[in-house]
Amino acid sequence: MNRKATAAVVLSSVLLTACAMSPTSPDGSEDVRTRLTTLQQNPEMKTHARTELRDAEAAVQLAEQPLADNEAALADYRVYMADRMVEIARAKGQTRLLESERERLGEQRDAARLAARTREADRAHAEAERARGSQADAAALSAREAEEMQRRIDDLEAEATERGLVLTLGDVLFATGSAQIQGGTNQNLEKLVTFLDQYPDRQVLIEGHTDNVGSAMFNETLSRQRAESVRRFLTDRRINSDRLTVSGFGFDRPIASNDSAMGRQQNRRVEVIIENRE
Amino acid sequence: MNTDTIRRACRRTGLFTTLMLATLTLVACASAPLPPTESLNGARDTIASAEQAEARRYAGAELEEANRQLAEADKAVADERMTDADRLAKQARVAAELAMARTEAAKAAAINRELERDAEALDEEMQRLGDQQ
Repeated sequence: MNRKATAAVVLSSVLLTACAMSPTSPDGSEDVRTRLTTLQQNPEMKTHARTELRDAEAAVQLAEQPLADNEAALADYRVYMADRMVEIARAKGQTRLLESERERLGEQRDAARLAARTREADRAHAEAERARGSQADAAALSAREAEEMQRRIDDLEAEATERGLVLTLGDVLFATGSAQIQGGTNQNLEKLVTFLDQYPDRQVLIEGHTDNVGSAMFNETLSRQRAESVRRFLTDRRINSDRLTVSGFGFDRPIASNDSAMGRQQNRRVEVIIENRE
Repeated sequence: MNTDTIRRACRRTGLFTTLMLATLTLVACASAPLPPTESLNGARDTIASAEQAEARRYAGAELEEANRQLAEADKAVADERMTDADRLAKQARVAAELAMARTEAAKAAAINRELERDAEALDEEMQRLGDQQ
């Protein structure tokens, strides 16, 4: 029994030694193994050439098997096959990697193209919108402005002439022979103030006129004083006096005949001329 | 009883003869092997496929190698070295497969370069558009 065991141990030792001492792997198989290991350690290759790497592994293992000296041709054959299998795995892995990158590149390019187009379209749209908007704005603004101004002119009961807007303040404004404005406030004058506030760039001429009752000197002075009264009214309402020019024409410029009371009344007036903007 | 023994002996002899004949036939087959048609055809087909895939342009050396191995295989067939012929045919085939694989890789790389150029051109275009804005 004991002897048998000893024999078994000795036999196994001999067999193991025989294995260890057996001929080494064929020439070239080591190089192929190194290249295969490099590929197997590359995660990209592991992903893209899984099957090919498995086939190559089998081929390399076969090539690594030690062979008798008289089987050198078989050894060469196995190494040749293993070598090509490893290189095929590498090439196929590269191809698939490139293909997967291509997908990404294609997506990238498509995205860039889309972005370019979107941007172009956006810009064109924005430009069109802007052009349309500014035109519309300008048109709307000027239309609104014109409308507004017309409303104010209508309100003022002024007359549009070549010289500008002419507002005629009748003689009811003043007591006979007086330059004082009656009643403190006057609706027409208030409207005038509002209008001048609204259009601060308009220059204003204030011209006093009378009928032909009395001397020319008296009438000229009276007409000027009445025009001055209007100016004072306006400056009191904070209209800048620089905008206001005052003249007294006496009875030089009648608008009706002084032969009738009606005519004379029409001639007694102060005209406010709001000059057109240049 | 005696007759029985003789009959048995005869039967044994028949069986022995049959076995001998079979063994002889097998030995005959081994000594005059057939060419490795399958391997040779496989090599030729694969080389043809590689050529179809423009391997001459993209992997000329590998295709050359495959053709050389196939020529060697044909020579081995002529010399009746059928084991060598089979191995050489298989080497021709695997060489052609490598030629094809490298051809595909080269084509894929060319396409990617093209795509990259496209993307770069587009990027530049975008840059220009951006500058104009």
